[in-house]
Amino acid sequence: MLENFKDFLLNGENLLFIFFSMLVIIGAVFLINLQKVVHMVIALATTFISLAGLYVLLEAEFLAFVQVLIYAGAMTILMIFGIMMTKHDRQNEEPKRPLHNGLLLLGSIGFFFIIYLAIQEAAFPIQEFTSVEENTELIGIDLFTWHVIPFELVSVLLTVAFIGAIIVAKREED
Amino acid sequence: METVFSQIAWLIPLFPLIAFIILIAIGKQGNKWSSYISIGFTLLSFILAFLVLIERLNGTMDAYTWNEFDWLSFGDISIKLGFEINNLNAMMLIVVTLVSLLVNLYSKAYMKDDARITVFFSYISLFTFSMLGLVISVNLLELYIFWELVGVCSFLLIGFWYEKESAKAAAKKAFIVTRIGDVGLFIAILLLFWYMPNHSLDFTDIHNAFSTNSIPIEAWVVTLIAILIFVGAMGKSGQFPLHTWLPDAMEGPTPISALIHAATMVAAGVYLVARTYDIFLASSIAMEVVAYVGGFTAIFAATIAIAQNDFKRILAYSTVSQLGYMMLALGIGAYTAGIFHLFTHAFFKALLFLGAGSVIHALHKQDIREMGGIWKSMKVTSWTFVIGALALSGIPPFSGFWSKEAILTEAYIDNKFLFIIGITAAFFTAFYMTRLFKLAFMGDSRAGNAPKESPFVMTLPLIVLCVLAIIAGFVFTPWTSWLGEWLTGDVVEEHTNWIVMIISIIVALAGIVLGWIMFGEQSKSSQSHNTRNWAYKLLENRYYIDELYHWIIVKPLRGLGLLLNAIDRFIVDGIVKLTANIMLGTGRVGTSVQNGQVQTYGLVTLIGFIIIIAAMLGRRYF
Amino acid sequence: MISSYLTLAAVLFVIGLYGALSKKNAVIVLLCIELMLNAVNLNLIAFAKFGINPSLKGQIFSLFNITIAAAEAAVGIAILIALYRNKATANVTEMNSLKK
Repeated sequence: MLENFKDFLLNGENLLFIFFSMLVIIGAVFLINLQKVVHMVIALATTFISLAGLYVLLEAEFLAFVQVLIYAGAMTILMIFGIMMTKHDRQNEEPKRPLHNGLLLLGSIGFFFIIYLAIQEAAFPIQEFTSVEENTELIGIDLFTWHVIPFELVSVLLTVAFIGAIIVAKREED
Repeated sequence: METVFSQIAWLIPLFPLIAFIILIAIGKQGNKWSSYISIGFTLLSFILAFLVLIERLNGTMDAYTWNEFDWLSFGDISIKLGFEINNLNAMMLIVVTLVSLLVNLYSKAYMKDDARITVFFSYISLFTFSMLGLVISVNLLELYIFWELVGVCSFLLIGFWYEKESAKAAAKKAFIVTRIGDVGLFIAILLLFWYMPNHSLDFTDIHNAFSTNSIPIEAWVVTLIAILIFVGAMGKSGQFPLHTWLPDAMEGPTPISALIHAATMVAAGVYLVARTYDIFLASSIAMEVVAYVGGFTAIFAATIAIAQNDFKRILAYSTVSQLGYMMLALGIGAYTAGIFHLFTHAFFKALLFLGAGSVIHALHKQDIREMGGIWKSMKVTSWTFVIGALALSGIPPFSGFWSKEAILTEAYIDNKFLFIIGITAAFFTAFYMTRLFKLAFMGDSRAGNAPKESPFVMTLPLIVLCVLAIIAGFVFTPWTSWLGEWLTGDVVEEHTNWIVMIISIIVALAGIVLGWIMFGEQSKSSQSHNTRNWAYKLLENRYYIDELYHWIIVKPLRGLGLLLNAIDRFIVDGIVKLTANIMLGTGRVGTSVQNGQVQTYGLVTLIGFIIIIAAMLGRRYF
Repeated sequence: MISSYLTLAAVLFVIGLYGALSKKNAVIVLLCIELMLNAVNLNLIAFAKFGINPSLKGQIFSLFNITIAAAEAAVGIAILIALYRNKATANVTEMNSLKK
């Protein structure tokens, strides 16, 4: 048991996994528990960047790059803007909802337990994807050949969302 | 002779029904002329009834029966409606229509200032319809329907002046007390239905079954049925334990007292016993019960009447007493005498009540201690009243003498004890009538206002009834007994019994003389009754029967009612409310979940998801 | 190895779920939703490497996923701002017009 653990620790990949996953979880927990919204966003950025690290470990370099770019960059900035445009005075503390929160905690733990059981029960074949050097290139080829229609649709979707966001957010009288 | 009119006799009750429908439809607008409608239709009924009577007098003994109308059929049993005309019915028809007609006429003047006169006449028409229907019913169930209908009319008319608390209470009392009797009758009908061959309730079948003793019924069942029928008759005719409603019923308008509570409806009980007489004949115990209850009621009510001060109440107790006489007669087997007394009593008691109404109408008072001196100013009323009182007291040659004498003769032959009771009651009757007459009519006026004679429409019925009260007795004297043959079909031997006749005349005269002497002086001053001994008090309070009922029956029932009410309120309602509250609580929880907050919805979804997964997993393990 | 990733994703998802259902600030709720989406992405990528049929498809799927998430975040923030302008609050508990 201990031997296994030692082997596990001596593996560099595993060490990195532990490091990043720790950062992910800590970031997430901080996100929930910090008081100031700006601090929360910083905790979230930590989580996102650590996730990008995990993607690298999973040999998805392109996705790691996209993760940093979109999540850690764009999304975080977007959220900061959202925070800035709404008022957040933490002083008038919200009324506590003990029943709600208690039930939620119970439900969340139960939910986790269910997923955990499922993961433990499932048998996964030990089969690794062959390491590919040109991850980005392969994704590009795949995206523009096999998945070109979904790709175009997503671009349309993005445009619609973009226009829609502007219309929704702009003042009515303008 | 052809039975032309008997065939259309069903029209007789129909006329008043038409009047009732018209009157109830026109409502208040008809206040001016509603009486004419009622009088007109009742007159039609009377004419037809008269023609039927003439036809019966000349015709055969056979009854005309028509019962073709299928009312209810279940299985192979069917209950039919129809009508039957026999001699007894024909006589009842003429009595009812005649008294009803006269009362209608009388009410036209008596009630003319009442705002609800149309309603009054519609009720009277409805009553006349029901009573006539009762008389010509072909079977017991049909009779029971009309029996209840007359009860309703009685209730409505007693409570006609419902603004008065006492009238309301009296109406309620009349309804409830007669209902006790009705339950008895209803059980009797059910028993008969059960035991009769073919479940037939027709009077003809009952007559055939019981007179030939052809049905296999045990003796005690026959007795039970007869006594239950008699219980029904007791309720309607105010016999002893159930008599308390009748004096209270005097709260109604006086013409109603004359029509319903003296002449017709209260006689329905006697009629019922007469109609089902074969059942009684089959059970000697039942006959004795009828005779003794009747006899006891006769003397009991007569003694109470001595100490009453309300004009109408005295007459009401007199009615109870006379109904007791009729029951006594039926109980000792003097069928003809009982019916004859019913016949004569209807006329002279209606006369007395209408006379009372005339006095009350003039004085606006009912207490005889505040009357007096009417004799001088109201000649017609006074003279007719005197004749009615003499008839009631049993002085020859008025009708009451002949009928009472017939009963007493039969009693003398059959049962000496009942004869003594009857003769004593006759003495008291003469006594209280004299007292009533002396206090109310003679002496100086104590009323304060000068009485005026009533209008002609009111005195005309008095005169007509007065004539009838004089002559009605001659149809069945000891020397002319054809009424008995006509009613029963048997030849009745002449029954001249000089001893009884002389005794009854002496007793009646003694009552009158004693009353005249005792109240002769006292009628001069209203302070006469200060000397009250215990016997007087007992009589004045009607033997405390009402109080007794109040403590023995009403109070425990009320207690039981309270208990049941509590059970209902706290236990039954509690369960109901609990159920409702559980539902309400569920609903409240549901509402609080539906609070419009997305997070709560999400939470509920999450918990639901977990429950589903847990259920699926649990199924795997168990 | 894969179960470690999956467990991590599960932890991340549950934390996101808890935050999304308990936080009152709408912006934080949006952030928590992003967290849950990221947990899904992590699953997809882990399966792309260790799954029964490991291939690039998982990565491409998560790429689409990220795109959709970005669009969702943009629209979400826009709605939030519009709502804030109308109701002067970013508090989720006060957004209960669903009740009516």
